[in-house]
Amino acid sequence: MTADRLAAEESAGGSIVDVALTVNGRSAPVRVEARRTLSDVLREDVGLTGTHLGCEHGVCGACTVLIDGQPARSCLLLAAQVDGAEITTIEGLAEPDGTLHPIQQAMMQAHGFQCAFCAPGFLMSAVALLADNPQPTRSEIREELAGNLCRCTGYQSIVDGVEIAVRRMNGDSSGGSS
Amino acid sequence: MTAPGHPQARENRSGLVGQSVRRVEDDRLLTGAGVFVADRNPDGVLHAVFVRSPLAHARITSIDVAAARRAPGVVAVITGAEMAEMTHPFPPFLMLPGLYTPLFHALSADKVRLVGDPVAVVIAESRYLAEDAADLVDVDYEPLPTVASIAEALSPTSEPLWAKAGGNVMMDHTDTFGDVDAVFAAADRVITERFDCPRQSNQPMETRGSLVEVDAATGHLTIHNATQSSHLLRWAVAALTGKQRTTTALKRFITNKQRRRAFFAGAKQFVGTNRDGLKEQDNAGPLAQLKKDRSFLGHMNKIAVGLLGKDDYPTVKAQDIGGGFGSKGPVAREDIALAAAATSLGRSVKWIEDRTENLMDGGQAREESLTVSIAVDSDGTFRAMRVDLIIDQGAYPGFPIGAPLITKMMKVMFPGAYRWDAFEIRSRVVATNKGRYIPYRGPWANETWARERMIDVVADALGMTPAEIRLHNMIGADDLPTSMVTGPSIDETMSTKQTLERALELIDMDQFERDRVAAAASGRRLGLGIACYHEAAPGPPEFWDCIHPGTGMLTPEEAHTTVEADGSVLVYTQQMPHGQSHETTYAQVAADELGVRIDDVTIVSGDTDRTPFGFAGTGGSRGGPIGAGAVRTTAREVRRQLIESAAGMLEASPDDIEIVDGNIHVAGVPARGVTVAEVARRAADDGASGDLHGAPFEVADVYNGAGDGGWSVATHVCIVDIDLGTGLVTFPRYLVVEDCGPIIHPAVVDGQVRGGVAQGIGAVLYERTTYDEDANLQAATYMDYLVPTAMEIPEIEVHHLETLSPGENDFRGVGEGGMVGAPAAITNAIEHALGARVTTQYLPPTKILELAGVIVPG
Repeated sequence: MTADRLAAEESAGGSIVDVALTVNGRSAPVRVEARRTLSDVLREDVGLTGTHLGCEHGVCGACTVLIDGQPARSCLLLAAQVDGAEITTIEGLAEPDGTLHPIQQAMMQAHGFQCAFCAPGFLMSAVALLADNPQPTRSEIREELAGNLCRCTGYQSIVDGVEIAVRRMNGDSSGGSS
Repeated sequence: MTAPGHPQARENRSGLVGQSVRRVEDDRLLTGAGVFVADRNPDGVLHAVFVRSPLAHARITSIDVAAARRAPGVVAVITGAEMAEMTHPFPPFLMLPGLYTPLFHALSADKVRLVGDPVAVVIAESRYLAEDAADLVDVDYEPLPTVASIAEALSPTSEPLWAKAGGNVMMDHTDTFGDVDAVFAAADRVITERFDCPRQSNQPMETRGSLVEVDAATGHLTIHNATQSSHLLRWAVAALTGKQRTTTALKRFITNKQRRRAFFAGAKQFVGTNRDGLKEQDNAGPLAQLKKDRSFLGHMNKIAVGLLGKDDYPTVKAQDIGGGFGSKGPVAREDIALAAAATSLGRSVKWIEDRTENLMDGGQAREESLTVSIAVDSDGTFRAMRVDLIIDQGAYPGFPIGAPLITKMMKVMFPGAYRWDAFEIRSRVVATNKGRYIPYRGPWANETWARERMIDVVADALGMTPAEIRLHNMIGADDLPTSMVTGPSIDETMSTKQTLERALELIDMDQFERDRVAAAASGRRLGLGIACYHEAAPGPPEFWDCIHPGTGMLTPEEAHTTVEADGSVLVYTQQMPHGQSHETTYAQVAADELGVRIDDVTIVSGDTDRTPFGFAGTGGSRGGPIGAGAVRTTAREVRRQLIESAAGMLEASPDDIEIVDGNIHVAGVPARGVTVAEVARRAADDGASGDLHGAPFEVADVYNGAGDGGWSVATHVCIVDIDLGTGLVTFPRYLVVEDCGPIIHPAVVDGQVRGGVAQGIGAVLYERTTYDEDANLQAATYMDYLVPTAMEIPEIEVHHLETLSPGENDFRGVGEGGMVGAPAAITNAIEHALGARVTTQYLPPTKILELAGVIVPG
């Protein structure tokens, strides 16, 4: 129980902080340990487990979320460091009516992933890439996604998926064939 | 697509098989709605952290947990000695001739044998507090000399890891096929080379993890676990945590009539179905074990009696699993410790492995030394091969499958797709102070690496090209039917030669030679490498008995297919999907077979209360040939039953009836049909209710698979481009021509091939589980263990042959081959590029530059 957890933390000399987060457009105030990572807060306190932890040392990229629109490793940040920030996770990509984001549709079409444990990080990195550079070349896509590890696919299908998303977002609704 | 006219194609009524249909799994996985074990956070769950040894080899002289127990938020600290009271040791699982398997507990009490060896477990209100308390556990160690390499382990003066082993050689056994000495003596030449493969690691993106939930009222355990084999874990936990007094257990067994009946019925069925396999068991393995250590007899008795006296076995569940590549097949020591801890506390406990733990002991592989001699005639004809294989299994043996069984797989597969008069392999397994050696995608793969590397060495010595010498010696259609020198029969599905011929057509050799000259002028070197293999997926009927007599009885697999009263179809499988897309591909197979829409089919896996029993889980390229075969045979019988039921309603002969899109009707008269749902509803109203799931239509069947087309094959050809300034290797072209028979889902197959190749590229150029000379792990994070990124992995071209066999279920496995072929093709290409002999599988930039003569070895 969270109360037991926080009480034990306080008796261990740890600080408890109030953090005001906005996650996927919704206000999500939390009361957590000062040393608690943003990823743990998102997953266990806010209850959004779509953000995954692959290495907890900032290399694999599975925990990537958008903080005020910029991609960041949520495993390397404390929630307390992003007080007041707007955070977007994989759960916030689809429209409120359930319509999938073009990158999600494209990955479905491309059969981008296999186990998809890495998918949340790739999707958030791809969204950030396309916001910065709406028409990346294939090699630019590879370079931008090099901060995310996938062990299943050999990446080709993921790069294909981003290319389809680029076409969809630039007005080709078919996305072409992969 | 499946070839027209083939029996399977004719029966594909809605024709889903052969299409890259939308993945069922993606709806949840691409929206963050998947549920992996770490995503389960039940109220009041406690968090476990293991205290691990910082030393590679040491005696534990004392352990003080008092301060940790007093730490805030700590609920319990359990030491190795306490855990040994609560659990049985891991027993030897498969006793092979010449093998000794040491017994070991979930936690270590007296001695540690690797950096990361768990000596205690701390359970607290949060992982943070548990980590704090783990630091307060005070362990005194008396260091012992370490064993950090195969060479050290072979030395008779090395410090033994296991007191009863009589040294660090755990297995030494030779298998001989044909008159090897005579053939070697008669051949024109004998060429010998030694190849060494450093240690690698499976590294799925999701680490291992377990959540043990305890039912407060009954004590029943529900274990959510990222396991490749749910039933294996269920039985292992039941067996190893079922510690009770023998008399108590026996009394409980005798007084529990239901349990007793179930046991004797199960035993009778097992003996009945496996009579031949049981006859083939010999005693050489158990005798080898007994000679060194009789203790397993007592432990196995207690385990057996404990299982008999246990009323309640755990439920093991998993929804989504983030990859495994073999590493989630073995039962982990931590799995047992966690279940025992949760049971003793009566509270739910969770452990999610961190990446450093995963790199330390989450599964390592491939550390092997292979000395290969080939006897060859001057015209390039292979005569015989001799192999001296040594596997470094690390400290603790993999359970249930580790290095010893993998030597047997290598024994059978080593000759490859070539003709030989004789073959011999000496297999040794040694213990060192390193992580567990376990199966990693194509566990036997280094037979392909060493053989295909050696074939290039032989070609070079004889002045032949790699393609010429392969084509000259490879078994082709003209040779059929034939057998491998190691036993398994070969049929038309062994189309390796066709894949090689096709691959050679796809490469423009003249262009390559021109590119090569141009590259040389700008400080680069180009090389082209070829590798060919075939794998048993599932293999011919006798395949597993060639590996070890009696193991053939492990291959069959059960499935259940039901139609519910609302017309929905449920397919129950013992497979444990962890990225392979079973929910899509099995639904394609079942929907085609039944004549219903894919949306009407749901695949049920990952719940031992509901799914059929099977220890195999998902692995071994079995999902297509055996798992999907069981789906097909059960769905086919359900279809027959549906038609039979509908025949009365339609007043027609069953022979004239077909099912299309869930509509059952006389062929050609769809308007006068009944739906599957109507037939199911009527059957349910008439009281039809299956024994297993209570559905109106319900079929269970065990499918053997073997014999319905055996081999999955491929040729890999790659071109490497080496920068002599940096030592970096890139791939202008990587080509795979594979043949896994008719393809269920092309995108899934391509993904499996490419993913395997990517791991092979990682193995050769980037990944290494490095230990120093004192067996300290040097690659404990992803800063040091380099998993390749999208920048390192090239575009991989995949071409398909779809050779058909006469078998009724012709899908062949494809999960492992990419990883089997890639290291050989890449190292062959690098040798070709540099003109320098390559004898190691790990070629980082410094090694490349040394081989190229740019820098001098340090």
